[in-house]
Amino acid sequence: MTTTFETLTAGDVIDGPSFAVSRESIRLFCDASLDYNPLHLDDDYMKGNFGKTHFGGIIMHGMNNFGLISRMITDWAYPLGAIHRRLETRWIKPVKPGDVIRPTGIVKSKQASAKSRWVLLDVMVRNQNDEKVATGEAMVEFPHD
Amino acid sequence: MAEPAGFETDFWKDANLRKVWEDIVPGEPRKTIPYTLTPEAIALYCKSVGETHPLYFDEAYAKTTRYGGLIAPPSIHILLMFSCTPADDWMRSPGTVNAGQSWSYNIPARPNDVITLHARALDKFIKRERLFVVHDNVFFNQHGDVICSGRGWTIRPK
Repeated sequence: MTTTFETLTAGDVIDGPSFAVSRESIRLFCDASLDYNPLHLDDDYMKGNFGKTHFGGIIMHGMNNFGLISRMITDWAYPLGAIHRRLETRWIKPVKPGDVIRPTGIVKSKQASAKSRWVLLDVMVRNQNDEKVATGEAMVEFPHD
Repeated sequence: MAEPAGFETDFWKDANLRKVWEDIVPGEPRKTIPYTLTPEAIALYCKSVGETHPLYFDEAYAKTTRYGGLIAPPSIHILLMFSCTPADDWMRSPGTVNAGQSWSYNIPARPNDVITLHARALDKFIKRERLFVVHDNVFFNQHGDVICSGRGWTIRPK
């Protein structure tokens, strides 16, 4: 069955891409985002404590999660004629080299406004141990045109 | 490499020039700089998150879509946040931890757009012994159209 705004129902699942995190993928994200914070580059720096938090080594950029969730949403929305309008995320757990992460979306509800139609999604990213590393919400517009 | 000419990748270098939590004034604009979004920068960003959609690479295809030509992925603001701010911007302070962000998308950024940023700290507070700053940001294209707007929560280094 072809997916349309009308056929979508709460609980429908969107599967995102698996992403293998490595020192190289983190370095590439540094170059692509221009975010060279030593959190993502410097193992010696990361041996220290950050308040009560001890990371023990470099961590992936939180915004790499964001980029993967956004990729999942657009790859789902474009073929449906829909537009990715909003994404809000929170980071739950650090992601480290060797982790494999995957975003997922779940249709939470559908709404109609005066001029358009909207699908609200719950989104999350899980690691290879099925632990949530990021959660959030997204909004996708299904224009009438 | 697609980094802007002169982009300083050593975030320690200007660390002493950057505002610390106490110096950051909510409501005060941050210094920003215009940035030309090159096709190469878009391609590198796409590679880093595995974006392969033809809207970002195949002009003939992109012309057949509602967008009428090539666009950048919505999340390109991740790059724009650093390309549109100078080396002494406090977002670069080593140890800055990103706690979460929310972004709204109006129109796509496109290759060769000249992007400008209006940015400020919006709020700061202490929670569970951590120093937080909320920042808000709006990116515009060369026509003055809003591309996207967003807010982020960062934990500041002590």
